[in-house]
Amino acid sequence: MPTPVIETLGLSKVYPGSVGGVPVLSSVDLTVEYGEVVALRGPSGSGKSTLLNILGCLDRPSRGRYVLGGADVSGLTREEQAWVRLHYIGFVFQSFHLLAHATALENVMLPLHYAGVPRVRSEDAARDLLARVGLSHRSEHFPAQLSGGERQRVAIARALTGRPPLLLADEPTGALDTKTGAEIMRLLLDLHTERGTSIILVTHDPTVAEYADRQIFLRDGRVVAGEEAHGGARA
Amino acid sequence: MALGRETWRLALKLIVRQPGRSALTMLGLAIGVGAFIAMVSFGEGARRSVVAQFEVLGTNLIKVQTAYPAVNPKAKPSIPIGDSEVRHIRREATTVAHVLAIARRSASVSWGGEQRPSYVNGVDPVYLGIHSWDVAAGGNFDAADMAESAKVCLLGKTNAKELFGDRDPLGQTVTLAGLMPCRVIGVLAEKGYSTNAADIDDIVLVPVTTYNTYLTDRPTYAYLEVEPLDKNLLDTARSEITDILRRAHGIEPGDPDDFSVSSPLEVIRAADRTARILGTLLAAIAAVSLLVGGIGIMNIQLVSVAERTEEIGVRAAIGASPNQILTQFLIEALILTMLGTLVGVTLGIGVASFVAQSMGWPRVISPSGVLFSAGFGIAVGVLFGYLPARRAALLDPIHALRRQ
Repeated sequence: MPTPVIETLGLSKVYPGSVGGVPVLSSVDLTVEYGEVVALRGPSGSGKSTLLNILGCLDRPSRGRYVLGGADVSGLTREEQAWVRLHYIGFVFQSFHLLAHATALENVMLPLHYAGVPRVRSEDAARDLLARVGLSHRSEHFPAQLSGGERQRVAIARALTGRPPLLLADEPTGALDTKTGAEIMRLLLDLHTERGTSIILVTHDPTVAEYADRQIFLRDGRVVAGEEAHGGARA
Repeated sequence: MALGRETWRLALKLIVRQPGRSALTMLGLAIGVGAFIAMVSFGEGARRSVVAQFEVLGTNLIKVQTAYPAVNPKAKPSIPIGDSEVRHIRREATTVAHVLAIARRSASVSWGGEQRPSYVNGVDPVYLGIHSWDVAAGGNFDAADMAESAKVCLLGKTNAKELFGDRDPLGQTVTLAGLMPCRVIGVLAEKGYSTNAADIDDIVLVPVTTYNTYLTDRPTYAYLEVEPLDKNLLDTARSEITDILRRAHGIEPGDPDDFSVSSPLEVIRAADRTARILGTLLAAIAAVSLLVGGIGIMNIQLVSVAERTEEIGVRAAIGASPNQILTQFLIEALILTMLGTLVGVTLGIGVASFVAQSMGWPRVISPSGVLFSAGFGIAVGVLFGYLPARRAALLDPIHALRRQ
């Protein structure tokens, strides 16, 4: 049996607070196989963002183990976390988070710059990806000159330039209209199929979650079974 | 280091794309560096100009004059400096090359119905050489003129111009003090103004023997100029002359001198010291402005880190390590600092040249001053660029991304 891309064991996060701290995640056990698309759902305050930050190596668990691609990454230093993010993880955000003073092309090239790839090569790779997301003609534009859908395409291209095995998408359609949102989801799934990238998708939107192979529900920092979550959501 | 070069390139691009912010960041430092260079140049220019004015007097000459102590009825009257003193020094001093007696009085100079008040100096022929004073037209008087107390004179530029205008004064006869006619055998080159704003060229020179014969009833001198054998013997010669004259004037040990022995070098040294203190003061003020410029860079970079929190978060999420973010901000600060310094150096040299030209000072741009201020400016920029860069590197990417 192949190693899963993500495996967490008893993952907990407690933020320092008045009495013994505020628990945000309690004992989350989670497995995501290579090439899976998983939707992470739950009401606000359920710990979705915290979990995503830990999975993205932006944050560290208070307790428990996080194994990424077969390696324990629970206790890495900030420099090491950055290295893991650079080589293993791509991020797509709700609000795109493109660099305003960089062109679409430069935004897409950025991860390769940090990885130390020479400019000629990274520019070729970035142009290819921009072409793949349908934005060849926009490569010299600045984010302010692009529509929301176009910006998210640039963000997706940027997340994938380093060929990471894992893509974390935090409400990728949250800032887009329904039609554009559907196009973006289509694009994500196509890229997933072409490249075998595992995707974890955080979303409120059930129709977006439908695109996933599997849905995981969070409530009060715990993973709950599908039915229980639905029941709770309706109550 | 391809990555290093790339980081520089990206930082430069960012700076060029935000010209307003970049210019504002550089402004303080540019003014600081510019002010520093200009101030150091002002100080040095003023100093040299002051020293040059004193050097006109002759730097290695000792001046001996009669001193008139505070009025005291019991004190002996001072013995004036005259031929006897000249003889004593010439005979007894071992460290002296020349002794020049200079007699001086105010006297009218007239020619062809024109008359103007001026000064007449009775001097030795070597006077001109020792003062590096050239003859613009005609020639100097010589030993023969001295021996026969010849009625010849040299006109200072001012007298030549005022009395003769465009006409040639050579060979003409002017009348000094309304009683002594003399033939103009030379016109002196222009010398300008002395430190006390007196017109040096407002003068007539005659042989000192002629002066003593026709222009005074007492052969006493305004002062003696003594040139030591060597520049290094200046102080030895001074004390030797003091001893000789005290003996010649019969001054008891403990009584004050009735003459003074001084050297322009002392005055120059004093002026030089004063000017140096002034220059240091200016440089210190300018150093403060450099520091303020550095703090300006820090402030703008700090604001910039706050403004660019989201950007820093995004870069971190993408995989930029804290070190890479630190480096990026440091390089930005370094580029801004270097550009600011460059602008400052240009500005400083420009202002210094302009002021030097309009004040008539020598234009002195000391390379070490420029290097120092440039080095100091860059150091200040990097030092103050480090704090914001560190803050950026330590920013928590989660919080950075959440702030929108």
